[in-house]
Amino acid sequence: MFADVATAGRKVRATFLRDARLMMSYRLAFLLDWFAIVASVTGLWFVSKLVPASSVFGAGHVATYFQYAVINVAFVTLQSAALQSFENSIRNEQVYGTLEAVLATPTSVSLIVLSAGAWAFTLAFIQVALYLAMASLFGLDLAHVNLASLAVFLILTITATVPVGVIGAAAIVRFKQAAPTQSIFGRASSVLAGVLFPITLLPLWLQGVSWMLPITHALNGIRGAFHGASLGALWTDLIWLAVATILLLPFSLFVFRAAVARAKRDGTLGQY
Amino acid sequence: MADFIEADQLTKTFPTAAGIVPWVRNLGRVERRTALEGVSFGVRRGELFGFLGTNGAGKSTILRVLSGLILPDGGSLRIGGIDALTSPLALRRMVNLCCTDERSFYYRLSARLNLEYFGALAGLGGKQLRERIAEVARAVDLEGDLDLRFDAFSSGMKQRLGIARALLGDPEVLIFDEPTRAVDPAHTASIRAFIRDELVGRRGKTVLLATNVLEEAWELCDRIAVLRGGRIAALAPPGELDARPDAPLRYEITVDRSDDALLGRTRAVSGLLELRVSGAAPAVLLDVLLAREPQALTELLRAVSANGVCVSSVRPQEPRPAEIFAGLVSERRDVR
Repeated sequence: MFADVATAGRKVRATFLRDARLMMSYRLAFLLDWFAIVASVTGLWFVSKLVPASSVFGAGHVATYFQYAVINVAFVTLQSAALQSFENSIRNEQVYGTLEAVLATPTSVSLIVLSAGAWAFTLAFIQVALYLAMASLFGLDLAHVNLASLAVFLILTITATVPVGVIGAAAIVRFKQAAPTQSIFGRASSVLAGVLFPITLLPLWLQGVSWMLPITHALNGIRGAFHGASLGALWTDLIWLAVATILLLPFSLFVFRAAVARAKRDGTLGQY
Repeated sequence: MADFIEADQLTKTFPTAAGIVPWVRNLGRVERRTALEGVSFGVRRGELFGFLGTNGAGKSTILRVLSGLILPDGGSLRIGGIDALTSPLALRRMVNLCCTDERSFYYRLSARLNLEYFGALAGLGGKQLRERIAEVARAVDLEGDLDLRFDAFSSGMKQRLGIARALLGDPEVLIFDEPTRAVDPAHTASIRAFIRDELVGRRGKTVLLATNVLEEAWELCDRIAVLRGGRIAALAPPGELDARPDAPLRYEITVDRSDDALLGRTRAVSGLLELRVSGAAPAVLLDVLLAREPQALTELLRAVSANGVCVSSVRPQEPRPAEIFAGLVSERRDVR
């Protein structure tokens, strides 16, 4: 059992190092990603000058628009990592021609797809840290963060958004192209999850749609943690994300395994 | 003794077209082409087993079925006592397909980093992985090139790196798909020697290989399965693979001299398919290929020995691999 876990850990680490090295071999694109963060924080700070502070931004506390939006924009990076990393990884493997070679190794299909997120989430966390560091230079107050709540919501944010990415990767294996649902999901989230404005501004029926999105609850919880809220105070979002994880994560892995099995039956595993 | 690999009645068909449009156009029917049709064979532990066949005969499909990358439609496959079709992870621990396709590596990483990644997926780590990489790189003569980026490798080096990767996990069964394609003659000889002497001879591995190089199959394999149209047309040790019953016969005839008149008479013999002349008087060699017809050899010898030419020997020759192969994959031959 311990040996199996250690071997799985080595495989995840190897995938992490592979993805990190491949990404850093494209140096310009890698550097531009960091510049985009600086530009985004600066832009939000200027926009916030136009919007007065309000309790609508602070879950009961008066907060600035900058505080509201910069936390959301920073942490929605985690969802982007989930939506893109698995899909991109499998797509790249198809195009490089390495997918068959990887699937011919004694590694479970589930571990292969999940480990594809290791570097992407690590990078996303580093980017979130840079967002927050930059934002603190512009006056973001980090003094009241409830670290326990933040840690739990970070974990649940990942576990609840990973299934959407894994299902996207399954679509790549099965149909050899990205499913439009991924793009729709990503764009809908940016409007409906309250990233740039509170969802209370949406019509009531759209608020219902918003409530269905994992990222809405993730951002609620994370913003709450930044205002010092305990896990007890954030229990509705906590339960929602936990249930989504329990239901969706095994389902998404089942879908991915089924897609691989179908590709093996059709003999299309190596095609793209 | 039971075979280590037991394939029984494996069948595989592939859809001829994918997507919703052909499906609708054919009213829900999907046309399929047959890649394997009732293929059965057994491979002993430590045997070097080859697959030959024309393009599209099913060689790559059978190798991919054996390595778990393609699921057959029917039949059974047991390797080392496990059901390979229902235990894919156990299969992949035991079997490794040597993908020598150069598109199966990460171009922007060095050879060493590629091997480190695939070695980790094979379950290796730390010092064990480093030592194993050094060992397999030495085996394929790439020790000094491990820190080059993969895209700087020549085709032959990429091919050899594919072999090194297959050896990393030390699997019981190694499957090679055209192991010496694009490899220079010097390295071809060393790769063949490595497969035959080191992998099979010293380490006792079971090796299956598909090749289009007939001499390679004849030189390396203990037994060869010749595939035609997704079925096994023949399965035997290379020396026992028989050509079709009406296959032409080859003779080597030694005469004391040769001139245009002799060659003219010889070429006029009905049933002569090929004539090659080598050597010089007093020992000229005539390499002839004759149709299997009554009296063809008698007629030929009569033509050769006219005008006082002395025939000192007539030696029947073993059919060449190419002749046997052509006979086995010919459309006229029944398959089993």
